[in-house]
Amino acid sequence: MREQETLYGQKSENYSNHIVQYPPEVSVCAGCTSCEAVCAMVHDGAVSPSLARLHLERSTVMMMHTIWSCQQCKDHPCYEACPKKDKAMLIDEELEIAYVNKDECVGCGLCVKACPFEPKRIHLELEKPRGKAIKCDLCRTRPEGPACVEYCQVNCIGLSEDPIPEADTGERGGLF
Amino acid sequence: MSEEKTIYGYAGNILRINLTDQSTELIPTEKYAKTYIGGRSIAYRIYWEEMNPDIKALDPENKLIYMTGPTTATAIPSGGRSVFVSLSPRTLPEMCTWSGLGGWFGAELKFAGFDGLIIEGKAEKPTYIFINDGEVEFLPADDLWGQYVHETQEKLEEIHGKEIKSFVIGPAGERQVRFSTITTANDNAAAKGGFGAIMGSKNLKAVACRGTGKITPFDIEKVLYLRKTMNTPPDRTNPIKHLDAFMAGPNVNAPVEGGMKETQVACSYGCNQHCNRMLVDVKSGTSRKRKNRVEKCVGVFAMGFEENCGWMPNQTFITEQNHAAPCKTLSGDMDPPDLTDPHAAEIFAWRNADKVNFWKSDYDKGNVMMDLCNQYGIDKWETTVGVLPWFAMGKKEGVFEGMDFGMPIDVESEEFVRYILKCIAYREGPYGDILAEGMARAVRTLGQEKFGKTIYHDRYSGIIEGKQLDIPILLETAWGDMFHWQGRGFQSAIDITGWVPASLQLMLSSRDTQTVAHFHATWDYHEAVKDDPYHNRLVPQNVIECEDREIIKDSFMSCEWQAPDHYWPTMETEMLYAATGQDMSLDEMHEMAVRGRLLFRAILIRDSGRSREQEVNAIYPGLTYPDSVGLTTSWEDWNDLVDLYYEERGWDKETGWIPRGQYEKYGLKDVADELEASGKLPK
Repeated sequence: MREQETLYGQKSENYSNHIVQYPPEVSVCAGCTSCEAVCAMVHDGAVSPSLARLHLERSTVMMMHTIWSCQQCKDHPCYEACPKKDKAMLIDEELEIAYVNKDECVGCGLCVKACPFEPKRIHLELEKPRGKAIKCDLCRTRPEGPACVEYCQVNCIGLSEDPIPEADTGERGGLF
Repeated sequence: MSEEKTIYGYAGNILRINLTDQSTELIPTEKYAKTYIGGRSIAYRIYWEEMNPDIKALDPENKLIYMTGPTTATAIPSGGRSVFVSLSPRTLPEMCTWSGLGGWFGAELKFAGFDGLIIEGKAEKPTYIFINDGEVEFLPADDLWGQYVHETQEKLEEIHGKEIKSFVIGPAGERQVRFSTITTANDNAAAKGGFGAIMGSKNLKAVACRGTGKITPFDIEKVLYLRKTMNTPPDRTNPIKHLDAFMAGPNVNAPVEGGMKETQVACSYGCNQHCNRMLVDVKSGTSRKRKNRVEKCVGVFAMGFEENCGWMPNQTFITEQNHAAPCKTLSGDMDPPDLTDPHAAEIFAWRNADKVNFWKSDYDKGNVMMDLCNQYGIDKWETTVGVLPWFAMGKKEGVFEGMDFGMPIDVESEEFVRYILKCIAYREGPYGDILAEGMARAVRTLGQEKFGKTIYHDRYSGIIEGKQLDIPILLETAWGDMFHWQGRGFQSAIDITGWVPASLQLMLSSRDTQTVAHFHATWDYHEAVKDDPYHNRLVPQNVIECEDREIIKDSFMSCEWQAPDHYWPTMETEMLYAATGQDMSLDEMHEMAVRGRLLFRAILIRDSGRSREQEVNAIYPGLTYPDSVGLTTSWEDWNDLVDLYYEERGWDKETGWIPRGQYEKYGLKDVADELEASGKLPK
């Protein structure tokens, strides 16, 4: 099992550009779950936890939440495990990431098994009888880039190679 | 959910759960959706159809109705909110009321296939319900009963997995404390209806839910547009801030030894705001481990209550250059004031709070007090504005002499706060059982003249130097609630142009409305009515606008931070269109709102004896105490205003009842027929 890297603002030896959650000193996740919701919407036209490519593990009581996202391994174990590679699982050469073609995916789940992280960063749709693989593709066809980053109201997630945002500790405008 | 037919915005069914025989039934949401849209309006319709005047709040026959709206789980901002409606054990008398709930449960329920719940009957023994993608299980709650709120939430996640969402009650709800809460994640609680007691009376500890299905918004591009535009999302980082003092407005600045940490969190699923303040690493009331805790409005005063909450007109009165949703002004995310506004000097003029001298600043004690409210599952408002100020004022006025509460009264002491809240939550100690009935009922048991109406002599105006202002030791207003934005009691600094309509709103409702329907109007209104708010039709007209907007908010599902936007009147219809594809005109939205409002009043008339006499007598006594500059209301003036309101609504001025024609105009002929049969239509 691989450990998640916490490198910000730089290229990684093992992982391509991927979604990262910043530490609380920079920005605390507000728990709004917009990242999951917009992810499912822009990819599948619906809102569902089972259609989101990243996962927000919400803490009911302590309210410090964790965002689990695909680390975009450079050696692409999910792609390597796919029995229909280059049809169901493909490589985006420019972004150096693996992505799923749902039309071809048969939902065998071998990519999920091959994901070296816990919790798994790739999963099957929960719709029955057999869901297709769901994996972060960094919104590769979206000119604006990843929707989760664009719609995070507190900028607590970003792309790993982008500069880490500056913590805004200034005064707010409200009365309280 | 069927793949064959996409139902945009809705999950498709409302789930009836009968705890007595452990049966369930599906009610297609479309039975109600077209006419009532969702949330509170649908819940009122179900209430009208299924309840009757003989039922008492804590009877098994009472129904706890929980509804989401069409925007819930669509990622439309604020749509994650939801609402309970039931016959309330907290209101005095027991009346139909509502209570909103944020968090993630509403969305999860829709992912599980349900737009709402009707919970009825009574389980034979402590039970919880697990809804798992359309399947419903009735499970024994032996291991949960007796647990605090947070421990219950955690235990459910241990049993069913971290992904489940729940709403639960604490020990107070189990003991049917009349101001007990139903609590979900992020410290979100439906608190004002006392609905935790209803779950307790039904032996229902919790409802847990896991949903993996999907909700399909009609117009994704529109949803994304709304996300970018509604209330201009902050779009800046949200770090943990290290501060030297706990601060809230110009008059709350309590130094904290060693400093404090805070950040902000969102209240509900898919919102584009993070309105709530989260205090990080604070003292707990139930554990040695420190915890994080969400603080909103009233909890600020748990930390110290020497001065009341001040006010500036822009919190209530807006201009085109300076307007924000009612609560946005408090959240810390308001846009900077536009000082080029010709009215800037007036609308941003701070109006000092009353000095009340209830208790001194103590950050740890305040956190303990609020954590105990969370953990026992009791309403923070009743605790912070009702119970503890009553002890503070009553002790100073000597009303408790000779009484033994089991511990000397000392509201400055964390030990006493812990003790008295425990007595209430567990109905123990010499007075726990009485206080657990809620302060309004408690003082009637103890003797209202002495224990409710004794005057407190240590309230001083913050505006007129040295002016002492009378206030009773129980800050009670109509329906057993505590004053809120009414010129006396909590948040008393608001001026007469604000507290008169806020009081009218309360009179016409069944609980505090200044949570989801803060009175809000333009600065022009303020200028027009300031000399005589009792005889100007702008007052009832603006109250009606707020009342109608309240129904829209709680039916489409929005909130006080987002809606209404007075300068974007179609915002809610655009939300509805994006979620469902229903292209509703402003007139149709208004019609829907009035229908919901009429239905609510019809319920009160049918089931709780609502009449002009009842409501004027409920609100008026509180208005005889001075506001923050010494103004009171005369019986004649108030009744003149009530006349104007009824005229504007087209209701009967003698009874306060609604004529048949009004019901029929809004498609409620069956309601008129039933009321006529029971003699409750005006002649």
